[in-house]
Amino acid sequence: MSGNLLHRPSILRRPDGIGGAFPALVLIILFFVVPVVGLLLRSVTEPVPGLQNYATLFGDGTYARVFFNTFLVATVVTAVTVVVAFPVAWMLAIMPPALGSIVFGIIILSMWTNLLTRTYAWMVLLQRTGVINRTLMDIGLISEPLPLINNLTGVTIGMVYIMLPFMILPLVGTLRAIDPMTLRAAALCGASPFDAFRRILLPLSLPGIAAGGLMVFVMSLGYFVTPTLLGGTSNMMLAAMIAQMIQSLLNWGLGSAAAFILLLVTMALYALQLRLVGAKRTTGGI
Amino acid sequence: MIEPFLSIRDLRKAFGGFVAVQDVTIDIQKGEFLTFLGPSGSGKSTTLYAIAGFQQPTSGDVLLEGRSLLSVPSHKRNIGMVFQRYTLFQHLTVAENVAFPLRVRRRPDAEVNRKVAEMLSLVRLESFGGRYPGALSGGQQQRVALARALAYDPPILLMDEPLSALDKKLREEIQAEIRRIHRETGVTILYVTHDQDEALHLSDRIALFRDGRIEQIGTGEDLYLRPQSEFVASFIGNSNFLPAEHLETVNGAATIRLADGSVVFGVRIDQEFSQGQKTRLMVRPEAFRLRPGAATAGLAVEFIDTAFFGERRRVIARTAAGQEIDVRPTSDMAQAHEGIASSRQIFFDPAAAFLFPA
Repeated sequence: MSGNLLHRPSILRRPDGIGGAFPALVLIILFFVVPVVGLLLRSVTEPVPGLQNYATLFGDGTYARVFFNTFLVATVVTAVTVVVAFPVAWMLAIMPPALGSIVFGIIILSMWTNLLTRTYAWMVLLQRTGVINRTLMDIGLISEPLPLINNLTGVTIGMVYIMLPFMILPLVGTLRAIDPMTLRAAALCGASPFDAFRRILLPLSLPGIAAGGLMVFVMSLGYFVTPTLLGGTSNMMLAAMIAQMIQSLLNWGLGSAAAFILLLVTMALYALQLRLVGAKRTTGGI
Repeated sequence: MIEPFLSIRDLRKAFGGFVAVQDVTIDIQKGEFLTFLGPSGSGKSTTLYAIAGFQQPTSGDVLLEGRSLLSVPSHKRNIGMVFQRYTLFQHLTVAENVAFPLRVRRRPDAEVNRKVAEMLSLVRLESFGGRYPGALSGGQQQRVALARALAYDPPILLMDEPLSALDKKLREEIQAEIRRIHRETGVTILYVTHDQDEALHLSDRIALFRDGRIEQIGTGEDLYLRPQSEFVASFIGNSNFLPAEHLETVNGAATIRLADGSVVFGVRIDQEFSQGQKTRLMVRPEAFRLRPGAATAGLAVEFIDTAFFGERRRVIARTAAGQEIDVRPTSDMAQAHEGIASSRQIFFDPAAAFLFPA
């Protein structure tokens, strides 16, 4: 594949092929590569040269718990987002275009609303005397308020809400490309609605789920505002920990090490997805 | 009277105020090849979808061997279907596609493998089992769809314009395949198309749809030789309609006066006309002769243009009343060619012409 690209004369002949990318390359080096390298250097030089910052992070039970929390929340948020986003995306995909674009607009609009506003709104909704608890108690479903805030439940609810558009958008694209007639064909072949979903719709929508899932997972790993406001102090996540290390403890070395680990994990996941999608392209018939 | 295999009774389907199908009643015998023919929007696909279970009819019933299908969901109807668009499962190989209906029925592996091999050989794609649908041509994809639809031995196969996305040569090739498969499997086929040639070529019987109703149902020959309405006459085959006035009917044979004033005797009719009623006389282009025969009527025309079509020549002629008509004489081709721009008489048999109300 790459061999073909190299042999395509049109690319070789373009005089500004590499030269045209030069300004962008300079920007990336200046504002991305240099700070990241700086971060890496700080993590192995402060307070004294060596790998002691990484040893602390991996050795200390408290830090390990933060890492575990972070991955747990990111995993749960990604899973719940997929489950919630799928029906919405499917509805958008099969809706009449005019109606679909209105619903689409509402989803996008929520994305553009200030993040802090939305998170505070959830705090109001989720607290002990909030609308959700009061309504549930009024209709007699519960007698005690549910603990919906200052725990992982609150973080998951708030994060799923914020992440939904990032899952819905790629998923709609994938689902729109699936001909609804394919599902009718599956039904006439004898597939029950569940069979048709499991054997046909789900496999066909996997590329969209993978793309959205990676996006949501990676964003969740580094999320700061929502976990901090809705998670309380006992459920610290990585981003909050880094902020605390640097702002309160002024421990740049440890903070940099944690940030660098986060970056490595993110890049590894991205590489994994590229590999999977790339493999699909070459072997699959799509 | 044998009980019909599949029976459609008084089917009606309305979408809000729009009636897509009404008064559709058909009995289909086992092993029959029945085609729903009609222009787009005539209700033929809606009728097919009611049989498939994709659309619940507003009223009426669909009975398979005497039992109503309406309360049975699509996936339990055990009906095979080939669609207009390619509906193969893109993430499965050809063999897995054909195996799919058997897998959801939880048939044992040995049976699945045997049946897949049998089906792929039926559609002559034995060596394509491992490929993905994306690597197949349109014609091959439809053949796989056919194999998939037949893999579970459904009693009925529905085909919804399965060849409309293919080019002419491929269409004819797959038409032949469909005929062969119908012959070999004996499956009852309901076929939807808007292409009259396809319908005539494939079917035992044709139901011609118009505005949600069946205009006429019968063999291709019935529809071609004995059209019951002007619509049937104009939809099946080629036709010329000459304005005429009905003068009188004696013993089922009408006397009419054409627009140029000439009088034609012995036109066959199936319905009553009053004296002086405005009518239209339908004459097939191939019913015209360049020489008079026994019991033929003459028509004064001028040849305007001719075109050569291999087996026959098409002539555009203008009648004395100024109407352009299509003439395709089966013989005298050379004569037709020489006769351009000359006034002459052409002839037709009034007993092979049809009279319809204007």
